[in-house]
Amino acid sequence: MSERFWLLSVAAVLGLAVALPAQDCHVALRGHVYDAETREPLAYATVRVAETSRGTMADENGYYVLPDHCEGATYTVSVAHVACEHFTQVVKLVENQAFDFWLSHVAHLQEITVLERAVAPTPVQASQEVSSSDLAAGQGVNITETMKKLPGVTSINTGATIAKPVIQGLHSNRIALINNQVALESQQWGSEHAPEIDPFTAGKITVLKGAAGVRYGVGAMGGAILIEPQPLREEAGWGGWVHGGVFSNGLSGVAAGAVDWKKDEGSLALRLQGTVKRSGNLRAPDYWLGNTGASEANLSVMTGWQNGPWRHDLSATTFNQKIGILRASHQGNLTDLMLAIEADTPRNNPNWFTYDIERPYQTVNHQTFQYRTALRLNEKWKFNGQYSLQYNERKEFDVVRKTSAGADKPQLLFDLWTNQVNLALEHFPIRHWQGGVGVQALQQKNTVGKGGLIPNYDTYGGSIWAMERWRKYPNPWEFEVGARYDYRYTNVFTTGNLVDVDTTLQFGNVSGTVGAVYHFNKAWSLSLHSGYAWRPPHVNELFAQGIHFGSGIYEQGRSDLRPEKALNTNLTLQWQTRRVYASLSVYRNNIQDFIYLEPQDELVLTVRGAFPAYFFDQDDAVLQGVDGSISFPVVGRLSVEGRVSLLRAYRMSRDSGENTDQKNWLPLMPSDRYQYGLKWRFGRDEQTVNSSESFVRLLASTTLEQTRLPQEGLLKPAPETFTVLALEVVHTFAVGKKSLEVGLNVQNLTNLRYREYLNFFRFYADEPGVNAGLRAKLTF
Amino acid sequence: MSNKHFKLPLFVLLATAGIFFTACNNDDDDGTAQENITTIQVHLTGAGIDQEFEWNDLDGIGGNNPVIDTIVVPANTGDIFSHIHVYDRSKTPEVDITDEIEAESLEHLITYAVAGANVNIAYDDTDSNGKPLGIKSIWTSTGASNGTLRIILYHEPSNKDNLSDPGGEVDFDVTFPVRIQ
Repeated sequence: MSERFWLLSVAAVLGLAVALPAQDCHVALRGHVYDAETREPLAYATVRVAETSRGTMADENGYYVLPDHCEGATYTVSVAHVACEHFTQVVKLVENQAFDFWLSHVAHLQEITVLERAVAPTPVQASQEVSSSDLAAGQGVNITETMKKLPGVTSINTGATIAKPVIQGLHSNRIALINNQVALESQQWGSEHAPEIDPFTAGKITVLKGAAGVRYGVGAMGGAILIEPQPLREEAGWGGWVHGGVFSNGLSGVAAGAVDWKKDEGSLALRLQGTVKRSGNLRAPDYWLGNTGASEANLSVMTGWQNGPWRHDLSATTFNQKIGILRASHQGNLTDLMLAIEADTPRNNPNWFTYDIERPYQTVNHQTFQYRTALRLNEKWKFNGQYSLQYNERKEFDVVRKTSAGADKPQLLFDLWTNQVNLALEHFPIRHWQGGVGVQALQQKNTVGKGGLIPNYDTYGGSIWAMERWRKYPNPWEFEVGARYDYRYTNVFTTGNLVDVDTTLQFGNVSGTVGAVYHFNKAWSLSLHSGYAWRPPHVNELFAQGIHFGSGIYEQGRSDLRPEKALNTNLTLQWQTRRVYASLSVYRNNIQDFIYLEPQDELVLTVRGAFPAYFFDQDDAVLQGVDGSISFPVVGRLSVEGRVSLLRAYRMSRDSGENTDQKNWLPLMPSDRYQYGLKWRFGRDEQTVNSSESFVRLLASTTLEQTRLPQEGLLKPAPETFTVLALEVVHTFAVGKKSLEVGLNVQNLTNLRYREYLNFFRFYADEPGVNAGLRAKLTF
Repeated sequence: MSNKHFKLPLFVLLATAGIFFTACNNDDDDGTAQENITTIQVHLTGAGIDQEFEWNDLDGIGGNNPVIDTIVVPANTGDIFSHIHVYDRSKTPEVDITDEIEAESLEHLITYAVAGANVNIAYDDTDSNGKPLGIKSIWTSTGASNGTLRIILYHEPSNKDNLSDPGGEVDFDVTFPVRIQ
């Protein structure tokens, strides 16, 4: 049997009800794949569109569908099948026209490009892909910014420089970031520790909402973010892109580029990608935000090749960042904090522009090395193996006396080494079931410099999982079932706080998932998904002991915390036609033993004065809400889009005597938010093969005041409702055979003065004012 | 054929990985230095006394509560000279932070707030701009009484003329019981 097979991620298999991004191009590329000799339909051929980097696999009847393509556009479609000749054809997409392909068998092809991808099907659970224009617009800012236009996704910020994604109210340790199939392992427990991912490496970002623990492990209790690079070059020769961007606020500049190369003969392909970024102090409408500059330099190398039946991929990336922390946020004690909170403009604020970054600041270095291999065992089965090594170093530099011993040293240092091995056996549909089994192993060594908030620890983990998906076209039903067991062993030793800890912790638990989709017709589908996932308490929650100076509270861990267990159920209705896209999700997440900070009655007396004490505690919690999204054309090329994210999150009180009418709302949960906008598309250049759209979009985002607040512990009222406007203009020019994409993006168009509840620094300063960004990307 | 396939990417990757990982290991920063003020000492001399009173929190934030001496001052004295010493006794040997405060006198200010006790405290030193510093002070007492003394060290104060709100941030903020007898 020929081992050649070209399988792509089965995103959007047969138009199933995974929520797709709201775009204006809603025409499906569809048709049949036939055997050229026998004239019979050919099952399981893969179909891929080069311009959109999207692919699918034909079903048993040879039928394939790739939704969301633009009418009138020209696409390069590649079709491949086991033992058949690789086939590429350029088509011009016309609505209501099927595109059928005939493949011919070739006995002994030796050196055709073969690209193996994971067989794992897209989960039935609610997922959303970041549109290419949002990705391009957010890339110059940070990875979190790219996702904020998805319903149910927002960010939790520490000032204007640090942002972390929040999925349906959960973030940090409760969601997983999967970068090029490797789970990012860094100090994600800290809400001021932003993900160490260069957005320019992302070709595609998918957000899975709700428990995704079976596929992505204990980190994915509340969801997962999948960041995938563009596939390596498939045609012999050179290619690549350069991106340049400037932003008016912070006078920041970003330059990124990639070079792709593929060998003339054989399968070897290589990519070198780099990014540099520099920004100065940002400006709120009325003043500068002192010490909010940042700099970043990232580099990655990827290579892949085929060797007989084996596919090999290697990559190495380095991410290096220095981020200034708003000077006015640094508080010595509670009196300082109260004065800062009451002040109308920030105290201790260097109110001028500079690129210099002074203390307090953080530096983060993250290195990843990964090796992946895939072996096609036979027509049905495939083996995948992956090894990854990550090294994360985080240094936090506090404000210190210039002559002290600490004047040239960080005040906090975290050092984390992670080794991960993933092995999986996956299969293509067998009696309409598709899926796989796998094992994973993890080893971590975390060292905290002297004076750290948390102890050092070593962790060893093992997991076993199995997942299957049933689909028999044209049966309207689709099912998914999966289970997983994880075990974690952690050895915790010493802390920086002069207290010795030496203990071992062991946690083990199962995760599960079941899902079903019903396709009413081509446009309507309904999916129901339930996931059960867990996570062990983090060392931080068990052993923390110290003051969070940004929030002015003393935090203390509790060593007998139990793991959190989440049961998440999600019902999604989706309507997708040529012109209209709408989806509505209702979800409920029951979390048993949810870990949170409980305010204490007494103050903790320290050398800096008394601080309110918060001890980690746990209780059952419920997070439920609605995510909705719609886009439809009004007249001509003008379309309307809208998104809504609503969330209610509260603790279930265990004490029977308490008043049950009064809900114990969870702190720091996203308030209700709405986005609505107008988009006008203009002239598509037929000459360009690039699928980028040309459009003007005016988008308003309204965030309501958070009125569901915990009864205690809030030092300052939640910020008022605000509406910010954003304007975006994107156009792609053809420059010879190259394409030049130019984008103008203006954030906070009206220079509105506002504060955001989910920003820890809302105590001290306003959000940044108007920011115009201009970017250009030349693809060659 | 297949060997050729291996060589270039392997070389590039291993070389790159080597650069990345050695680069980060060459870091000369072998640790952190976190200031940890554990002890504030008030050393009183004159008017027949020569005594040290201490505020100690040797295990740092949390854990055991601080141990605080009561400052005892004779009633109706003449000038008593006070000198503040600040230590980090969590390290061995202990670190005397007083010198750093004196060396950066412009960026520091110690303030005193007495409540209830009949003692008057006046600055006895200045920074290099002639503004108050507060390491040294002169105390005079009147009648017997009980009360408290709150001593605050400000780092990088923005306005040393406003002693009740000089700006900057607080490095320590401690309160001693005071008895005038």
